Order: sequence, then C-alpha cells, then structure tokens
Amino acid sequence: MKTYIAQRLGIGLLTLLGMSIVIFGMLRLAPGDIVDILFSTGGYVNPVERVAIEKELGLDRPVWVQYVEWMRQIMTGDLGKSYRYDLPAWEIIRPLIPVTLELAALSLIVSVALGVPFGVISAVRQDTSLDYALRVFSLAGLSMPSFWLGMVIILTLVAWLGWIPPVTYVSPSENFWLHAVQFALPALAVGYRSSALIMRITRSSLLEVMREDYIRTARAKGQSGGIVIWRHALQNAILPVVTVIGIEFAFLIGGLVVTETVFNLPGLARFLVEAILWRDYPIVQNLVMFIAIVVILSNLFVDMLYGFLDPRVRYGN
Amino acid sequence: MTRSRSTLLVSVLVLVILAGLGVTLAAAQTPKAGGHLNIMLREDLSPGFAVHESSTISTSFPSMPCFSNLVIFDQGKRPETPDNIVGELAEKWSWQDNFRNLVFFLRKNVKWHDGQPFTSKDVKFTFDMLREAPEATAKLRINPRKDWYANVEAVEAADAHTVVFRLKRPQPGLLNMLASGYTPIYAAHVNPATYRTSCVGTGPFKVKEWRKGEFVDYVKNPDYFVKGRPYLDSLRYVIIKERGTRVAALQAGQLDVSFPGETTKTAAEQLKKAVPQLVITPVAQAVSDNIIMNTKKAPFDNPKVRQAVSYAIDRRALIQAVHQGGAVPGASMQPKPYGVWGLLEKDLASLPGYGKPEDMKARARKLLGEAGITAQNPLRVEMATRAIAIYVDMASFVINELKQVGIEATLKQVETAQWHAMATRGDYQIGANLTGLGVDEPDANYYENYACGSPRNYSQYCSEEVMKMVEQQSQELNPQKRLQMLAALQRKVEEDAARPILDWKLDYFTFWPHVKGLVPHDNIYNFGRMADVWRDK
Repeated sequence: MKTYIAQRLGIGLLTLLGMSIVIFGMLRLAPGDIVDILFSTGGYVNPVERVAIEKELGLDRPVWVQYVEWMRQIMTGDLGKSYRYDLPAWEIIRPLIPVTLELAALSLIVSVALGVPFGVISAVRQDTSLDYALRVFSLAGLSMPSFWLGMVIILTLVAWLGWIPPVTYVSPSENFWLHAVQFALPALAVGYRSSALIMRITRSSLLEVMREDYIRTARAKGQSGGIVIWRHALQNAILPVVTVIGIEFAFLIGGLVVTETVFNLPGLARFLVEAILWRDYPIVQNLVMFIAIVVILSNLFVDMLYGFLDPRVRYGN
Repeated sequence: MTRSRSTLLVSVLVLVILAGLGVTLAAAQTPKAGGHLNIMLREDLSPGFAVHESSTISTSFPSMPCFSNLVIFDQGKRPETPDNIVGELAEKWSWQDNFRNLVFFLRKNVKWHDGQPFTSKDVKFTFDMLREAPEATAKLRINPRKDWYANVEAVEAADAHTVVFRLKRPQPGLLNMLASGYTPIYAAHVNPATYRTSCVGTGPFKVKEWRKGEFVDYVKNPDYFVKGRPYLDSLRYVIIKERGTRVAALQAGQLDVSFPGETTKTAAEQLKKAVPQLVITPVAQAVSDNIIMNTKKAPFDNPKVRQAVSYAIDRRALIQAVHQGGAVPGASMQPKPYGVWGLLEKDLASLPGYGKPEDMKARARKLLGEAGITAQNPLRVEMATRAIAIYVDMASFVINELKQVGIEATLKQVETAQWHAMATRGDYQIGANLTGLGVDEPDANYYENYACGSPRNYSQYCSEEVMKMVEQQSQELNPQKRLQMLAALQRKVEEDAARPILDWKLDYFTFWPHVKGLVPHDNIYNFGRMADVWRDK
C-alpha cells in the first residue's frame, strides 16, 4: 500500500514537472505580456519605458533562466510577486483557495445528493414514466450551462423578489446564514449540471449490475428489493460513479470560472482568468500548478477509495 | 363672527401645514452626516491607486475619494466650464505676467493620510515628476500625460504654501488640465510605486482595505481640510465583472451608485421600468467613437481614401443602430451643450458623414474613383478593433457602411494586451477605436491625439498647418477668439480625415434616490470626490 502511494506520488511529481514546462511555455507563447497591458492602461507604448519595466520585472532574462528561477522559488516556498498587484503571489492566492474549495465541495454534495438517488430510482423504475421524467431532468441539466442557469437564477430573483445573494463575500464567521445563502445558489446551479452526469452513470452502471446472476440469487433467496438494490447492486455499481465524482471535483476546481463570475465569488478560477488576461505569469503559473496538484491528489484519493469499496482491488505489485 | 373665526382657524391651519411642509422640505435638503454607500466598479483598480500611471476610469474613479487636486471642477455642478473650477488644495490662484506664470496659494494645516503636513514641496514633486523635469526626484513607471505639461518650464515652491508654475508661453488651458480627475497631488515623502498598492492622499476618505478583485473600502478622513466634510462615514467600491450581475445588484439595492459610463440608453430604460424610483441622469461621457487610419501606409496614406472612409459612414445612422440614440454627433471636441469647445449641430452639417447618406456615399465613391478604386477594383482592407463588444459593434457597422462604397473590410479582433502596442507601432491599416478625453480642454486632446510624434496619435497624422493652429489656439487669451480658432481646427482635422470622429457617447448615470449631493458631470473622469455626498436614509 505504502509502495503504491509512493509510486503514485512519484508519478504525480513527474506529471507536475511536465505540467510546469507546458504552463510556462504556453504562457510565453501567448501574444503580449504584462508590459503591454500596463501600457494599455496608459493608452500608449514607449519603447524606452518598456525596456525599463521588463528589466524591473525580470522579463528581460532568457526564458530558461526565468523557468529555473520559478522552480527555485517553488522549492523554497516563495511563489514570486504578482506583476499586476506588486504583492507576493501567495498573499493574493491564499484567500481564493477556500472559496473555490468550498464551492466545489458544496456543488459536489448537491450533485451526489441528487445524482445517486435519482440514478437508482431511474434504474429501478426503468422505462416507466418516472424514469423518463428523471432522464429528461438529467438531460436538461447536461444541456444547460451552469453559468446560464446561474444568470437565470439571479435575474429571476431580482425580477420577482428584488433580491439577490450578497455580491461581496461574506465569511462564515461574519454571518453564517448569509454565507450559506451566498454559496447555496451557485452550488445548486453547478451541482445540478454535475448531478445529471452522475445520475446517468449511476443508472447505466446499476442497470448492468442488476442483470448479474448474484442479484437474481439474492432476489431468489427472498431478500427485500431495498436490500438487494442498496446493499448488493449499488455497492458493485458505485465504482464508475466514484470515478466520475473524482473527475468532477478535479474539474470543478478550475472549472468554476463563470459561476464565480456570475455570483461574484472571489474564487481562484475567476481570478485565474483575470490573471491570464493580465499575463500575470507568477499568479497564473502557481494557480495552474495548484489546480494540477488537486487533480493529481483527487485522482489518487479516488483510486485509494476503490480498495475500500471493492475488496477485489489490491494495491502494489 | 363664526365665519371670521373659522376663516382664522383655517388660515392658522394652512400656515401650520405650510410651516410644517417647509420644515420637512428644509430637513430633506439638509445634508445628514453618517452612513455608508456601495458603489459599482466593473474591474479591479489597475495599477492600484497610481492615477498618474493610468488612463483608465477604473483607476481614476475609485481613487478620487483618496486624493485632492490643486483645483478641481466644482463637484456640485454638472458642466465642466473654466468658470466652474474651484480651489481644492489651492485656496486661490492668480495668472500673472500675461498668463505665463500661474501662482497657487495653498491651504495651510492640510495633512496627508499618514499625518505628514502637506506643503508646496508636494506640488513641486508631483509636477516635476509628471513633466519629467531634470530636477525631478522620482520617476513614474509609465507617464501617459507627460504631454499635458510640455509647456511648463519650471515649478517653483516659493514658500511652504505658494507654488509658481512658470510657462514657456501663455497657456490658459493649463488650469483645465489641473482640474481633471487625472491630476491629483502625490505626497513627496511617498515613493510613487507605493500608490500601486496603497494610497496616501489628502482626500476626504482614507483607504481602509483593498481586497484584490473584490472591493475597496474607504473610511472618513477625520482630518479632511474642509470642516464638516465628508458627510458619509464610509464607502465601498464593489468590483463586479459580470455586467448582468452588476445591474441586478443595483436593482436589488446592494449597490447605491452605478459606475460612470456603465449605463447605456437601453439599459437605463430597462432599469427605469424595473425600478421606477431610480434616479437616472443622461450625461456625456467625453468618450468618442472614432476611426484610426494608418497615414504612413497604403492605401490610407492617400488623403482621398481617408476622406472617402469618413464620407461613407453615416454618423446619425450609427448613433441609432449601435447606441440606440444614446450618443450625439460631434467633431474632435465634445459637442455643445456637453462640452465648451465643440462645434454646433449646424456647423457639423458641412462635414463628412453628416449630409444626406446617399450624397455622402456618392461623394465617397467619387473620391475612391479618383484614387483608382472602383467596383471592378475594390479596396480590400483589415479593420482592426479591440475584442470588446462596444468596439466590435461599432466596427461591424462601419464595415457595412464601407462595403456600400466599394471597400471590402474584414474584421480583425485584437486582444486588449496587444491593442495599444499595435496601434502605437502603426501595425494596422484601419481601426475602430474609442478615445476618452480626461478633460474638455483642446490642448489635452490635440497634443495627445493629433500632434506629430505623439504616441497616442495612432493614425500618425502629421500636419504642419494643424500644429500651427493647435499652438495658436493654445495661447489665445480671448475665449471667444479661441472658440473661433477651434472651430476652424476641428473642421480642418475632420476634412483631412485625421481621425474621423463618429459620435460622442452618453451615459445614463444611475443611483438610488437616497443618494444626495452626487452630481454626475459631462465627463466621466472628473467627478466622484464624494466629499459632499450624503445619504438620506
């Protein structure tokens, strides 16, 4: 087990190294840099001043030197300085992380809470009107982009109630209920879309399992429908669902851009887009690396979970 | 007796009611101290509060409460005329030596937000830095308005509270530029780079917190030099990137005040329908839609081709189609009644693009024919514009207009990161552009956007005759004469199609009725000090 985790972490480190090269290279390949943006706010460009700013920000150094410097900074726990804000990158990134993690986790809870039971009901009531209704519900979820749904929620609330959730972040310590309201609506908007995917996977996986001999045997032994489904069938059907949940969580960390923008939540996905537009390399590079780490760790966590859910899965050699 | 008694009673009653009403009205108009306002921002401050390193309202507007100018356009009056300039850090000023010396007498006992005293040294520091004088003790990273101070020969701190601006030649318009929201005084004891992350000003509010990408919080400055001001205890500028969310937040009352330049005519109509009590004031933005053509490269090095483009674009149709009537026609200075120096509607009639559309297009075809461009031999060009909706909408309209006279233009959307670099380098053929004037002052406009060699003269148009006219109007002391000279100058640059102006945009500035004392100006860059604003709730 320990060897397996060590191996996976080793592969994860190699993946991160590869990612760092890709991120670094792609950012430099994108046209324009922070100096262009700074001049853009001034409405002109002066070549002499341009050279001075490039020197001040260290952009005049060869690209490989900049990369090595970034790696050195990561090793020493120093994430560099934001070009845009002239502040340590970590100081800017740190408050963004809990917002996105919380929204992603809540969205996932919503999606599992809706997706798994609906998937089970849909499978058990296959080809009934209830099954069709739930399939329409899930298809609608897949078809509606969460940002569109978010905007519809906001516009409907303001039109009907003259109210929308707070547009500035309210921390739980400041006002727990307001905080809950602020996160509930975006979590519903995002969670609904994800639940559709989970529901469809749960349904198809469960339908497959329910055709297995051991399910027929359990039924023949006189076990109740509920026990057959929840204890025997679902336990064996859950593996692909867990995989999807893991992938969804990893996707949500970087994929909440528009939802965070629509609900004006100060998360890292929204900030990442801003940083890309500003060519704020230290912020972009470190945020993408953070997302990559979350993806790698969530994948590892899902793989570890297999062992608990299915005793046949063994780790190591 | 009974009748007279009842008449008396009624009279007394009426008097009491009137007196009561009077008291109520007076009370309603008497500013109340205290309270908080939430104000809309559409993007984060960039670069922070460093107004002198920026030309965007996203920096100047939310920084206004922190700073003070020497002089400023009266915040309580909408028109930005020279007569409406009032002292801020300067108690009074005087033009001397036939408008070659401008002397400011500064307020005493003014403190910076960090407690340091404000003196003439701060004024000298700021303007030496801005004009990049040899004796300047600090340098800005970028300096977009250096040209505004090209005529300043020296800034002298005669004593702790007297400053003299010595000019190379008379320039009455300098005072207008000093009254702009883009001309705050920096503290000499603070490194200008510090303003990118924090703000040390002398303004009515102190920065409490700037949470990046979220908000800027201000609290009342108890040491503000105007006694009894500001009325409000605090301000919050809330950053909301998504337009729909911004509007919903205003509608829901989470924001009290909109952002200048944010509300189009259509949006204002929708808002008024949804929330009838909102106060919506149509004002000019001092932002023009215009066409830039690279005069150094074919085919736009040929004046006839440039003129043809200008004739081809029906300004009035553009105002209706792109802005739904939320803009006004005008030449290179903001038109009256919004601006002081603009041409009158009747004067515009003779300019390209203002006559009967079919006549204008026929004229454009004729000019193109003279340049060898015909239906058989059409001109194919690339129309560059910023990849932002307000630019793209305008560019698309222009492309359609050009097509009707035989110019086949394809749209090239350029990301913001590259737009100004591309325009300054002249790495384009023709472009659809927006230009904001920081102040309604011809010197600021012509030296910035039309002068030979100016980095913001994207067309690279250079005319000795025009430069002479610019210089002459700049030193003309008689306002009426200057107005006439400017009318001729405006006609000249439009006829030369130096940078054809298509329209001047309007803003439908919106706030809730409990916001009092906030007067939007006909220039989005010069109001928002917030010292006189109060909350009636």
